[in-house]
Amino acid sequence: MTFLAVIARGLLRRPVRTGLTLVGISIGIAAVVALVGMSRGFVSSWTAGMKSRGTDIVVHSMRTSLAPRPFPAAAQGRIAHLPGVAATCGILVELMSVENSEMMIVSGREWGGFSWGNLKVLSGRMPTDAAERAVVLGKTAADVMGKKVGNKLQMETEELTVVGIADGGALVENGSVILSMSLLQEIMGNQGQINAIDVRVTPGMDEAAIRRLCDEISRLIPEARGQVAGEHIRESQSYRMINAMSWGTSLLAVLVGVLGVMNTMLMTVFERKQEICILLALGWKRSRIIRMILWESAMLGFFGGIVGVALGVAGVNVMKNTPAIRGLLEPELSVGLMITSVLIAVAVGVVSGLYPAWRSSRLTPSLALQG
Amino acid sequence: MPETMNQPAPAAGPSAAACVFEAVDLKKSYDDGQVQALRGVSFRINEGEFVAVIGPSGCGKTTLLQMLGALDRPSSGALLYRGKSLPDLPEPATYRAREIGFVFQSFHLLPTFTAVENVQIPMFETDRSLPERRERADEMLKAVGLEKRANHFPSKLSGGERQRVAIARSLANGPSVLLADEPTGNLDSQNAGHVLELLSRLHREQKMTLILVTHDMGIARRASRAIQMKDGHIVFDGNPAELSLA
Repeated sequence: MTFLAVIARGLLRRPVRTGLTLVGISIGIAAVVALVGMSRGFVSSWTAGMKSRGTDIVVHSMRTSLAPRPFPAAAQGRIAHLPGVAATCGILVELMSVENSEMMIVSGREWGGFSWGNLKVLSGRMPTDAAERAVVLGKTAADVMGKKVGNKLQMETEELTVVGIADGGALVENGSVILSMSLLQEIMGNQGQINAIDVRVTPGMDEAAIRRLCDEISRLIPEARGQVAGEHIRESQSYRMINAMSWGTSLLAVLVGVLGVMNTMLMTVFERKQEICILLALGWKRSRIIRMILWESAMLGFFGGIVGVALGVAGVNVMKNTPAIRGLLEPELSVGLMITSVLIAVAVGVVSGLYPAWRSSRLTPSLALQG
Repeated sequence: MPETMNQPAPAAGPSAAACVFEAVDLKKSYDDGQVQALRGVSFRINEGEFVAVIGPSGCGKTTLLQMLGALDRPSSGALLYRGKSLPDLPEPATYRAREIGFVFQSFHLLPTFTAVENVQIPMFETDRSLPERRERADEMLKAVGLEKRANHFPSKLSGGERQRVAIARSLANGPSVLLADEPTGNLDSQNAGHVLELLSRLHREQKMTLILVTHDMGIARRASRAIQMKDGHIVFDGNPAELSLA
């Protein structure tokens, strides 16, 4: 019989209580996996969208809002000539309610700009010119809204025609409503305004040179900022807030798990008081008793973590297909996040077991001879 | 026979045998001195002796056993194990694990472990490998005649069988001293007889020192020496056959 078997037997002596404690931890860990996976997925989904458009640098004025704030379209002309800039494309992007969809990405793109290039038409066609009152739907957006080529789409007060359904090569692109920038400016009353410039750099440019170009762009456009595509989301205040809220909410759930494990382990020590005294009387060192309690609580944490990761993955898969989220982001459920979550669960177990272990170490072996 | 014995008694065993325990004016009190369990007892116990500690409930015999097993510390006085002060042992757990074996009145087998697993419990504090622990446990169960019940949980064993498993467990690390606290207290007379016979046989064959606490005069008479206690004092120390005279 190994020491591990002793520990496992300790946990199995009250299977219902052990099971309920596992559920408590696993809910906390599921929250970590789901919320953090979603917030990280937000960054990776938008980064993938940028990559599929061939965008290396994004010029934006994103501060506290999720969608960047508008700035004059004339800024585009100030950077187009810079060495290292291969192409630029003005963008006006909005996150807005469209018909029954609570939040859609509406992407107005400079007519003829490179940011149209990644769209592969699956059915229908592209708009014929910038003035055509038409939209192209990413395939997920079309699916979410139940639209087909030829259908009408109500956007604000304007009725537009769905002329095509396209595959943009990335989840965010496929979840977008795409139209010409000038048309969106007109609909939103933002004439002459954009809120992003997609910049494609000359091929072969290394990362350091791209960062120098970002600095140069930021200097030339004081009202906006040039950043490597993806980083502009990761470093935005909004994302940081979402991320902090995800961790905060998750850790609250984990705290509930801590209290659950601590309660279970205290009950265990209380119930097994005489057993622990017998072990001490039979020659077990106090350090071994402490290790036994800590290992039991760590194992509770470990298995709670495994179940929690499974629950989190299942929960995220349900959530990502809800109409409110579908097409906006693909949760990032990396192996790293799962390992981190299980490690958090084990740490929860160990921390929760510290006080019960200390209590157990205070027991006197002479109690073994009583009763 | 004096009412109290404050000086170490002469060893009842062969004079050449080594002294295992020596107590001098040993006292133990609880609750800030309000309860005095031991009021200054002195004795010597030599290697290989079978000593019965007898007396009524509350006379201090279990407290004495706790001191000998390093489960508790005396309030004053000296208690030596092979010349070393027991209360000052740097690691009492090691002493309990390697030098002594405990047999309890209520068996105290762990209910979630089988007989053979219970016997392995004390061996965790030794250098024995997993197969060695298993082999030793099987050997000990065979010594108490329970090799066929090795994989049974305590709930599936009779009272006598449980106590035999507990005896096997107490022998697991090959102790030189066996401390038994009312080992037949929870057994019927037939099982009690078997357990006493087993303890006597192990004492003879393994030449270990056996200290057995009992309130049963009949059991005490099977020992080679009896220490009778009353109100925290030793009132008799000698040949068990003379117990009725005390």
